[in-house]
Amino acid sequence: MHNVWLILQREYLERVRTKGFIIFTLLMPLFIVGIVVGPQKLMTRKTAGAHDIVVVAATQSIADAVKQELENPVVTDPDSDEKEVPNFAVHTSLDTSEQMQKELFARVNSGDLEGYLVLSEQAIADRKFIYKTRAASDFVQTVALRTAVSSALSRQKLAERGISATDSDKLLQRFDMDTVRIDQGRETKAGGIGTVILPFLLMMMIYITVLVYGVAVMRSVLEEKNSRVMEVMLSSVSALELMAGKILGVGAVGLTQILIWVGLGVVSSTPAVVAAKPYLADLQIPTMVFVFFPIFFLLGYMLYSCMYAAVGAMVNSEEEAQQLQWPVMLPIIACSAFAMEAIRHPNSPLAFWLSQFPLTSPILMFVRIAVQQPPMWQILLSITILIATIYGAVVLCCRIYRVGILIYGKRPTLPEILRWIKYA
Amino acid sequence: MNTLELRAVSKSYNEFKAVQNLSFSIPQGAVFGLLGPNGAGKTTSLRMMIGITIPDTGEVQMFGEPFRRKHLLRIGYLPEERGLYKRMKVQQLLIFLAQLKGVSPEDATKRSTWWLERLDLAKWANAKVEELSKGMQQKIQFIAAVLHQPEFVIMDEPFSGLDPANANELKDVLVELKNAGKTILFSTHRMDQVERLCDSICLVNHGVAVLDGDLKAIKASYGKSAIQLEYEGAAAFLERKDLIESFNDYGNYVELRLRPGTDSQDILRLASQNARVTRFELAEPSLESIFIAVSRGKDLQEVKHA
Repeated sequence: MHNVWLILQREYLERVRTKGFIIFTLLMPLFIVGIVVGPQKLMTRKTAGAHDIVVVAATQSIADAVKQELENPVVTDPDSDEKEVPNFAVHTSLDTSEQMQKELFARVNSGDLEGYLVLSEQAIADRKFIYKTRAASDFVQTVALRTAVSSALSRQKLAERGISATDSDKLLQRFDMDTVRIDQGRETKAGGIGTVILPFLLMMMIYITVLVYGVAVMRSVLEEKNSRVMEVMLSSVSALELMAGKILGVGAVGLTQILIWVGLGVVSSTPAVVAAKPYLADLQIPTMVFVFFPIFFLLGYMLYSCMYAAVGAMVNSEEEAQQLQWPVMLPIIACSAFAMEAIRHPNSPLAFWLSQFPLTSPILMFVRIAVQQPPMWQILLSITILIATIYGAVVLCCRIYRVGILIYGKRPTLPEILRWIKYA
Repeated sequence: MNTLELRAVSKSYNEFKAVQNLSFSIPQGAVFGLLGPNGAGKTTSLRMMIGITIPDTGEVQMFGEPFRRKHLLRIGYLPEERGLYKRMKVQQLLIFLAQLKGVSPEDATKRSTWWLERLDLAKWANAKVEELSKGMQQKIQFIAAVLHQPEFVIMDEPFSGLDPANANELKDVLVELKNAGKTILFSTHRMDQVERLCDSICLVNHGVAVLDGDLKAIKASYGKSAIQLEYEGAAAFLERKDLIESFNDYGNYVELRLRPGTDSQDILRLASQNARVTRFELAEPSLESIFIAVSRGKDLQEVKHA
């Protein structure tokens, strides 16, 4: 045990002192917040200039109503906040001729115009109109247009039937809805987008740290092998002690990093956290999440780092390692693909089985806990299976490791690896 | 008491028999040479002695009892594949390695300071290992092997890669260790180096021990059967297969082994007919020529009668 402790200490101190560690520790939160918040910020940012669009309508009153609605929307979607409304500069036209449409088409094509909207008699009767633009994928813009047109037309119809403007505004106002999560007999307010983002954010944290530190273990084994320091170590310590010290040492670095991140999160003055605030506001994080976060990180890390240590022992170069680490990485990458499914349907059979299967459970069980705490027996079962698997992986990987670290030259074939496992 | 005793130790990797039925013992305080060409199974044998690999069959006795991991605290090992943590500082690394051998950090600091001065490396104590030359790294590795004052020092090819000055320095240290009563095991394919240092040897080839015992006794048993000859002129006499069993041309001189019953004076006469003999000496065969003879599969008895 003393030897494991010494190796752990060396591994830890050598790593924490490097510039790489400090840089990664500081950049990672920015990166995660960046990939979650960044696209949304970009999507909803107010475009500098106004979007020039032309509304072609059968009558001036319809054209004016739509223009009015687009420039000063009365009816808004309660889910979206102010700044999501695009800024339109609306021009109107009553000329529905082919000639006019061709001209508008040319102007959109040349970039002179953002787009044009055709509200012919026919379109209104069909309740289906056409918007032609080059920016067809800007769904914020198209949603705003659709909302504006339908409320403008509805308002007109209501006015025709003698309903006052104030009344029609009230009628057209959408209803707001609060989602309240019932969990363990308690109610928590789960505000819109935050319920998805938080589990996703935490999942990314586990995912990236497990991957990064698993790979770190692999590279460190490979480095010891290539620098031939391995044999010196083995004249003092056993292969198991060496592997255990390394995995625990690197794991301790990972844990340190996570604690620093949690610390950074608490200091919410960080610009990144402030930027994320609107999305995380009035979201209550279940306490259990904080309990299970380090547990699942450590278990997941232990399992994967063992396998990475074995891969490191099998190969002789970075290139070989790149190829051979794929089978190890695959399940963990699959986790991130299944995460959305687990967030949306945390109690589906798929989510259940994936959260019990040891290669995916560290991430997916944790995601389920973050979304909606599953029955305790499921969590305990998942942890038990995981621990049993880790035990098996340690035994198996240590056997591969023990033989592999002393073998140089050709990359071993699968039958060879199986033979290594059988060696006494 | 024997520091080390191997009893019929064997190790195979798949079909390849790395070591077969190897037995020898090293008395306490002896300098022992494990000799043989590359790939003879020397390193595998060393690894089995210190538990890096486990023998398939046979037994390793260390300090008079079956090998256990706690014995490692009393053994120093210099592997053939030299390696250190490149990014660590020299003295820190030495202290770390000594701690793994059970030395307290204080003692490790004191001793490593002493050793670094002894081997002229004091000013590099705080440099990173990767900044050192290869020869210096090798000396660091040597210090690491003896820092915990082991009773038994195992060295795999200790002189390879050292310039003559450093090799000599290392040899002096080894003689000191020997005089201090430590048991030393060398493993090498450079027989000439070991010949001067070893008390007893074991020659291995293809995983099998071909010859072992006290070095002086081995040489004596071959008698002064070798002739060392320096000459100028024709070498035709070397082809007299009826008189000469084998010869080894070292460039400056030839070493001959005679057939049983050949009179050495006949050779001298033969040689002087066609060439000018500048040196003619009856000598003990060198370890190298013994090895060559033995590994060619000659019957030992036959060689001895020569």
